[in-house]
Amino acid sequence: MANLRVMCKLLKNLNISNVKAHSIPSDRRYKNWGAQEVKSGRSWKKEELRLKSNSDLHKYVLLKERNMLLTMEEEAKAQIQLFPSPERIDKVEDSMENLESVIRERNVAYHKLETGRTGERPYKMSKNAFGLRYRHEMSEYTMPKHMNKDWYEEFRSYKHDRYTEQFLLKYREKSYVSKRRQQIRDFNHVIHLLNRFPDMDMQALKEQYPNVDIEKAKASRKYGGHFAPK
Amino acid sequence: MSTRLYPIYQKGGPQLRVFLPNFWLKLVRPPHEQPPNVVVFSCSMEMTTFDIRNYLEKIYNIKTVDIRTRIHMTKTRKDPGKGYVVKDDDIKYAYVTLPKGESFEFPDLFPKKDDKEEGDDQKALKAAKQGYQEFLDKNKDRPNMPGWFTV
Repeated sequence: MANLRVMCKLLKNLNISNVKAHSIPSDRRYKNWGAQEVKSGRSWKKEELRLKSNSDLHKYVLLKERNMLLTMEEEAKAQIQLFPSPERIDKVEDSMENLESVIRERNVAYHKLETGRTGERPYKMSKNAFGLRYRHEMSEYTMPKHMNKDWYEEFRSYKHDRYTEQFLLKYREKSYVSKRRQQIRDFNHVIHLLNRFPDMDMQALKEQYPNVDIEKAKASRKYGGHFAPK
Repeated sequence: MSTRLYPIYQKGGPQLRVFLPNFWLKLVRPPHEQPPNVVVFSCSMEMTTFDIRNYLEKIYNIKTVDIRTRIHMTKTRKDPGKGYVVKDDDIKYAYVTLPKGESFEFPDLFPKKDDKEEGDDQKALKAAKQGYQEFLDKNKDRPNMPGWFTV
């Protein structure tokens, strides 16, 4: 019955006696079964994971934990029970993400040392059917490009013609107008800030609104409030 | 998984090795009665029988004899308000046969509690009752006053 133990591990990362599930004595039953709340710490940080060795990071502890939690969640749903401490799933996901990014860092470092490249998936910027640029993730093909009919059908989509030209004209106009309006909004906002807080830290203002010319804002007729000049 | 892009297999190329897969497995109660050595998992949709075998053998150290998968199509229903069709995600089930002599029984994950232990809901109910009693007691020595008239 060694397998039962391993199966139970799927449900919980803990050793359990090699007996049938229903005959597990209650004191040896896993304490989280039927608990209202399971206390858990925070997720693993990147700094902590960077200290771990590569073999430690490939122990699949988090993977097992996530499988256990998903199993518990599913069973809770089936039994119409409350799944205790559901935030554990988020914590495990967060830890897994951090772990993967740390491994990725190491991969990139290794590849750069060995080959001078990052070893990441290569990409190129290309244009889609609307003529908009996108990041095309490249992949390997068994067939050369000129022979690969299917690939050609899929990626031939962009054709620079009258219609895409018209579309792009309007698209660019829209983005230009929205940028321009943002600029005007910022400019007016800076004038109001200057009116309200005349002794403001100018350096901080410049940093927060780098695209606003403050001298120009001070020259505006909105600057200075409503009073008759002497 | 897969910060790396795996190379496509060509004859003579090295064996593909997968680290940190995105795959998950859920141990579920079998929807229909099964022999004692058959375990049912719901797995991520991308998993093939080979993936499940390797996953169980390498990560959980479980030997398997046979694995079969099926995709369960979930029901569609209409949204009560707008009437558009909603469909839940399909589920892939894997029926894993363990070697002869092995057996597995799904344990009771939510055993019945003793009456002495009380849950959060019971505690909250008790606190609410006590609070209401305190509220009633506050107006006790104020005759001819409506119940809502309080500070």
